[in-house]
Amino acid sequence: MMKKILLFIKSKLFLFGAAGVFIGLLFSLAMYEGLHRTSDDKFCIVCHEMAPMVAAYHNDVHGGAGKTGIKVTCVTCHLPHDNVLAYIATKARNGVVEGAIHFFGNPDAIDWHANRANKEHFVEDEGCIGCHTNYKTNTNISAKGLKMHAHYESLKNTDKKIGCASCHAEVGHHGLKSMLNYYKPEYPYYNGKLDKQKEEVEKKLSETLK
Amino acid sequence: MRSKKTLFSIGVFLLLSAMSLIGSEAATPSPAKEIPISAEMKEKFPIKAHHAKLSLKCTDCHENQGDNPENFKLIGDEGCLSCHKSKVYLAERLKFMDTLHVNPHNSIHDGPKLYCDECHFEHQKSDNMCLSCHSNDVKLWMRETP
Repeated sequence: MMKKILLFIKSKLFLFGAAGVFIGLLFSLAMYEGLHRTSDDKFCIVCHEMAPMVAAYHNDVHGGAGKTGIKVTCVTCHLPHDNVLAYIATKARNGVVEGAIHFFGNPDAIDWHANRANKEHFVEDEGCIGCHTNYKTNTNISAKGLKMHAHYESLKNTDKKIGCASCHAEVGHHGLKSMLNYYKPEYPYYNGKLDKQKEEVEKKLSETLK
Repeated sequence: MRSKKTLFSIGVFLLLSAMSLIGSEAATPSPAKEIPISAEMKEKFPIKAHHAKLSLKCTDCHENQGDNPENFKLIGDEGCLSCHKSKVYLAERLKFMDTLHVNPHNSIHDGPKLYCDECHFEHQKSDNMCLSCHSNDVKLWMRETP
């Protein structure tokens, strides 16, 4: 019986090979499409608690507010790109964790202002450098900027390592501090006094994400 | 004959790889000469936590002022803004405070025009100028001046 099957496969080796390649390609395509379609603000905001972050992103050059209107996706900066498997694993883990917080946790208890102290941990520098390849030599950057980028480089692989977002505090999310305050003021004095701003932001957000 | 050719191409490949390595090392600029910071200096000239976190060195702010910290001079607005961009940019960052007219970087008295060291001091405790009149309100409006 085994022999028969083996012989059958052998006689149709080309056919089986072709089918294998086809299935492989189909799987890759599905994976690619799946990853691609689940990488922008419209998808991420379904579960992630990030309305103020998305609103601030829309006001940033990275979110389409630049002259050219070019947008980078959330995952470009927020997921690791050094290895495809790590990328998929992080994406899947984040999806589950954030989904759980959204549906079963207490998202209102998250202190976004305090979390900003860890901003460099939320940004993958490789994502930044993937586009800003010449950040060490670009002559459009000020002398101080280049000096600081060399400083960044010198701290890499040490315990004093810093990230792009350590200095570029609101990168990708223009006016993030204000936006977070519209949603949840840092100081009680502002409670209820910034609601008009929040309403405007929400209105624009729902139109943009339609 | 053929193995010689292979050997030759492998040789060329290795040589090019080695050259690319050397090239990449040369492209990395060497860090500026560092002034050692003693414990005594750290006490005399402490720096703000957010700057310490970035491992900034004396000469990152005190540029072209020699290498004796005792002779360092104030860096002025220009020095601060060489990293912190512009006063308008800084005011914009606190835009939500404009709603209630309490943005310290864009106050109704001075706009985005105050000197940085009217309030902010790097090596000593900062001093919020708003307090000189609004002594009771400032703590409601904003956090302690960094």
